[in-house]
Amino acid sequence: MCTFVPFVVYLEEPSLNQITPEPLVRFEQVTYKHYGKPAPALSDVNLTIQRGSFTLLVGPSGSGKSTLCMLLNGIIPQILGGKLTGSVTVDGHDISKTPVQELAKSTGMLFQDPEWMFATLKVEDEIAFGPENLRRDPKQILESVEQSLNFVGLQHLRKNLVWALSGGQTQKLGLASVIAMETPLIVLDEPTANLDPATTHSVHQLILKLRDEGKAVLLVTKDLDEFMAEADDMILLAEGRVIAQGTPRDVVTQHGGKMLELGVWLPEPTEIGLRLKAAGRFNKPVPITVEEALNVFADAKFSASNPNGKLVAESETLIHAENIEFTYGNNFKALRGVSFDIKQGEIVAIVGQNGAGKSTLSKLLVGLQKPTAGEMTMFGRSAKRWKVQELANQIALVFQNPEHQFLCDTVREELEYSLLAQGIDDSVIVASRVDEMLARLDITDTADSHPFSLSAGAKRRLGVATMLIGGSAKLLIVDEPTYGQDRRLTERLMQLINNLRREGITVLMITHDMRLVDAHIDRAIVMANGEKIFDGSPDMLFQSPDLVERASLRTTTLRRLVEGLRARNISVPDGLNTVDDFIGALQ
Amino acid sequence: MSEHSLRYIDNNSFFTRIDALSKLLWVLMVILTTFQLTNNISRAIMLAVLLFVMIFLARIPFKTAWQALPIILIMGSLLFFVHLFTAPSTHTITLAGFVVGKEGFDKGLQYFFRITIMVLASFILIWTTDIRDLMVGLVSIGMPYRYAFTIFMALRFLPVVQQEVDAVKAAHAIRGRATRSPIRHRIRLWQRYMFTVIVNGLRKAENTALAIESRGFGAYPDRTYTKAFYWTKTGILLLILFLAFAIWLIFWGKTLPTS
Repeated sequence: MCTFVPFVVYLEEPSLNQITPEPLVRFEQVTYKHYGKPAPALSDVNLTIQRGSFTLLVGPSGSGKSTLCMLLNGIIPQILGGKLTGSVTVDGHDISKTPVQELAKSTGMLFQDPEWMFATLKVEDEIAFGPENLRRDPKQILESVEQSLNFVGLQHLRKNLVWALSGGQTQKLGLASVIAMETPLIVLDEPTANLDPATTHSVHQLILKLRDEGKAVLLVTKDLDEFMAEADDMILLAEGRVIAQGTPRDVVTQHGGKMLELGVWLPEPTEIGLRLKAAGRFNKPVPITVEEALNVFADAKFSASNPNGKLVAESETLIHAENIEFTYGNNFKALRGVSFDIKQGEIVAIVGQNGAGKSTLSKLLVGLQKPTAGEMTMFGRSAKRWKVQELANQIALVFQNPEHQFLCDTVREELEYSLLAQGIDDSVIVASRVDEMLARLDITDTADSHPFSLSAGAKRRLGVATMLIGGSAKLLIVDEPTYGQDRRLTERLMQLINNLRREGITVLMITHDMRLVDAHIDRAIVMANGEKIFDGSPDMLFQSPDLVERASLRTTTLRRLVEGLRARNISVPDGLNTVDDFIGALQ
Repeated sequence: MSEHSLRYIDNNSFFTRIDALSKLLWVLMVILTTFQLTNNISRAIMLAVLLFVMIFLARIPFKTAWQALPIILIMGSLLFFVHLFTAPSTHTITLAGFVVGKEGFDKGLQYFFRITIMVLASFILIWTTDIRDLMVGLVSIGMPYRYAFTIFMALRFLPVVQQEVDAVKAAHAIRGRATRSPIRHRIRLWQRYMFTVIVNGLRKAENTALAIESRGFGAYPDRTYTKAFYWTKTGILLLILFLAFAIWLIFWGKTLPTS
């Protein structure tokens, strides 16, 4: 008997392990159609999220990620309507039958732009807002506010007004407000889309800390680099269907090709592995981190030079700025002694932390503001003598939110307006130029649609089209070209921008996307606290860790991989700025 | 980092430290008193008192006041001119070389003062009050919190709407003008401001509504508060002093000719 008992116990243990705990979230045969839309946003979705797990939700633009998130707190279907079939349960609650306010005890959600989530004026009041709604005891709420402030590191700003916070602090406050609700599930929908690279990293660290605290986290993001090895689960969505669910490694290994085809952003080492595999040049496991890639490519050999070197423009100076300053009416000095030149045919990026003066600089360049000190010459004439509308013929600015610049009821009228504004009113010429531009930017099928009804990518292309159709613009300024766009849409936009550059148009981008800077830019102007702290090639910029840190930037994973390989005495040529460059140089 | 004129200024001034309900009652008293005043000299005194409050008690920065000036003056000025030119007059006066009706001028000034005083008093309330305190105060005197919160949200988002208008104006400015008629162009731009601001405003208002509902707003008929409302002594003092001043002004004004 004595020897028998442990044997029985041993037999029972595996069966205990096989009992799967009830998942925190369960989708069963879920199909959802938005009100008034013919096609479903989600189709036959089956998935589960376990308590305490960390799940990444990935997919191309328009794949249904935000819709899926909004099902988790009942906003869909209870507030936004539409038709839902199948069942979604969160923490045992059926989301169709449990009021949204009741579901707030189970699901905390951080939106992309938390400024609109804020309901009060001060930091600590904002964190208390949710628990107050749930009638929690004020003493308990104050403790919770304290803990949440500590968690995100905003104790010193507790009395601050919410609109006085920087982008990163705003996002951290949003996170603190969600944490204070003490929900078992936290949903984060692109929480770092608007942040500079260093702040993005600090928010990522907080997300991992949340996971360590035992919260179930569902994260929608295109910045997967720091999460691939950390997440328990990855869900791949495309056209409203779950293509795969499993560990990030399994999903990437089994569906990586599909992910590339769909335009999902993947870490560069993973992309390299997948593309080499697809080309039959690679039979090792696909790396999901830089460290894994360093091991995988430990015996790699590279050709001596990089065939894809960038063009270096040496031509006419379009804009010359000498010690310019700009001070807002509230005495905030946004620019301090900034000097630079912009030459014809260059692609230049302005990068730096949130609030570094990048947007102010772009306003000066289009004439919306004039320097309060210093001298700026644009196309041979002092900036002070240019009127905004005259300058609009020379400089085209595509806003981060292109909707702001639309003036008409159809895409076609929008383009016609731009021509009329430049005095081109011959109806035959107008029609032919509009048709040509529609075809060139691949928006012909939307010619009669309302500009506001276009997809994010098409809106961005229309924004470019309205500014360039006049044909006289010499400089195109694009504010955050990759914002809200998947890899495929970004590549398309960059292809367009590169074509424009070949036609002699200078392009200036304001961006936080270091992959973009590395891949496409000739020169980066780095701003920090209103000052220009660097002006040179991305290679020189990223070789200076101090500068990168000071400007709140981060090097790309590809650069970290290249540096890691060099540290292992592998000879890697300079100028491997893109996945294509890396694969091209690999022997 | 640009500046906006319609938001709370946390400057710890005398007026900022007064409780929100006292300030709200003060605004109501200002408005009621103004409608009791029977001549423009009394109304001018009331306006001067408000300017005194704005500059010395609320310590509103000159630049903020300057930026808000067009909004403060626009309605009053419009009504001034409407009455100046339309009110029937039996006497005339010469004003900067122009002959205008005296009654029309007086009537115009009357409306100018009334509207300007109302708008300025409301602005002082917005500049000096954390509207959350106002909401808590209104709830403490029995207003259902959903209604109190509606007022709160409207005030909370005024600066954000202003920011949106600025962004749209800037974007439109660089699109140029598609017609030779500046007036037609101006009308078109205004239509678009309205359209874009309303569409984006509604979209953002929807996002806000979704966000606050998903944070439990409205889950119960009542809610708890981490900061309780309390009447301040300075607030009570302000109301008593202002009441005395208002009574004096009304009766003193009656001794002057009506205008």
